[in-house]
Amino acid sequence: MVSMLTVDNLTAGYDEADVVSNVSLNVIEGKITCLLGANGAGKTTLIRAILGLNNIRAGLVTFSDKDISSWATHDIASEGVTCVPEGRRVFGKMTVLENLQAGAFLERNASVVMQRLKQVYDFFPKLEERSDQLAGTMSGGEQAMLTIGRSLMSNPSLMIFDEPSLGLSPLFVKENFRIIKDINEKGMTVLLVEQNVRQTLEIAHFGYVLSQGKIVASGSVDSLKNNSELRAAYFGSA
Amino acid sequence: MDPGFFAQYLINGLVQGITYALVAVGFTLFFGVLDVIKFSHGDVLMLGAFTALALFLGLDQLSTPAWLSLTIMLCLGVIAMALLGALLCKFLVLPLKESPPLNTLLITLMFGSVIREGVRLFFPNGSNPKPFPALLPETSINWGNLNLRLDSVILIFTGAMAIVLTHLFIQKTRMGLAIRAVAQDEETARLMGINFNKTVLMTFALGSGLAALSGISTGLYYQEINFSMGLMLGVIGFSAAVVGGLGSIYGAIVGGLLFAFLQTLGAIWFSVPAYKDVFAFTVIIMLMAWRPTGLLADRSAERV
Repeated sequence: MVSMLTVDNLTAGYDEADVVSNVSLNVIEGKITCLLGANGAGKTTLIRAILGLNNIRAGLVTFSDKDISSWATHDIASEGVTCVPEGRRVFGKMTVLENLQAGAFLERNASVVMQRLKQVYDFFPKLEERSDQLAGTMSGGEQAMLTIGRSLMSNPSLMIFDEPSLGLSPLFVKENFRIIKDINEKGMTVLLVEQNVRQTLEIAHFGYVLSQGKIVASGSVDSLKNNSELRAAYFGSA
Repeated sequence: MDPGFFAQYLINGLVQGITYALVAVGFTLFFGVLDVIKFSHGDVLMLGAFTALALFLGLDQLSTPAWLSLTIMLCLGVIAMALLGALLCKFLVLPLKESPPLNTLLITLMFGSVIREGVRLFFPNGSNPKPFPALLPETSINWGNLNLRLDSVILIFTGAMAIVLTHLFIQKTRMGLAIRAVAQDEETARLMGINFNKTVLMTFALGSGLAALSGISTGLYYQEINFSMGLMLGVIGFSAAVVGGLGSIYGAIVGGLLFAFLQTLGAIWFSVPAYKDVFAFTVIIMLMAWRPTGLLADRSAERV
């Protein structure tokens, strides 16, 4: 098992306060690794620190054997890390097509971009139908699709999903998890950050549980399912 | 009104309006990508005109033909101000990104004063108005009461071309896509691999180059420039951008043309030209009260 992304004793936060401290985790190549935690556990802070959107106080982030701890966000992206951001942040005043083109910003070869566009359209036929529509006028579920398609356009080697089920209707949540599973089955390495424990554990291979800024449980999904603390905290039974 | 007079006013107003629109587009671009108001914009415009004038004085010594002088003045003037805009952004604006917007506003206001006073003190005899060379063809045709100057037509055409090219650059190129992405959602843009700082510097260079073009056009049209010309043009350009809807390029164009139209209307009604600005600004204030986010922008003002 090769670890594609390794976080080693990372501490990060805002102003004076450390939000996450001494967090270590591995994202295994070709697998879905999930990061579970309640609101305020520090999931988003951790992801932002990995992506270079927040400063890292201490610790190391290694991606494909490169130390990316102090890299700028756009340089991390050019290494093949992409993030489907929380809250379906599409470029609302751009068309669907332009959003997808923005996703492939780093690819200068137009024919390669066209090829990827075709793949994304094959995966999400709805996006092709809506290619000229302003992204901001689409429904929440369609925007969620678009953010995933946009990330795929960069031909990433690691996809980070930041709370993809947040604010979606149950039907779309289910659909979203199915899509993530599909993408992974085609070989993509995934780091899935979620609150939705039950459905996340259905598709993930490995997991970490973050609570008050610290990793409190980790291991294979099967071991997590049987972890009594986790069961107590999230499933309501010991 | 006599159609000749009407056409005359229309042409004069268009020359003015395009000049204002060029300034307003800069304000709108800066606000779009960085949510800042850069108040040294008018002074950068003035420095662009003085740079062109200094170049002319040098080229004149070498008895360079007029068209070549003009080309060199335009290109170097625009490039120099684009560089200045990028430097200003890198050293004064970007470092203040996390601080309150008022700080950026103040520091660019002060930087504008430095440029202005610098020109006044260090340009030879800089406190007096300077004659600007009439390098455009002086031919004109008379058509009833209309005196159509060829230089007006050239200036309108050049300004309009610059705005159209800017628009195409932003809508059709890869760099333009980056500018729009940054304007709409900075963090998501960075996640797509877009270099935020580079994009913002590029935008400031673009806006400042347009200001230089506007300054040189003003010099060519009035054949006179002075160290404080940027104050009024800056305020007018800013008002035009705000009334059109800060962040929207169409808004900036509409705002610039509208201001020139109001000035012309004021000049006709009051028959005392001095009142034209009072009239124009009064109407602009009323428009702002009526539509606080601008004529063309909705609440979530479109950025670039």
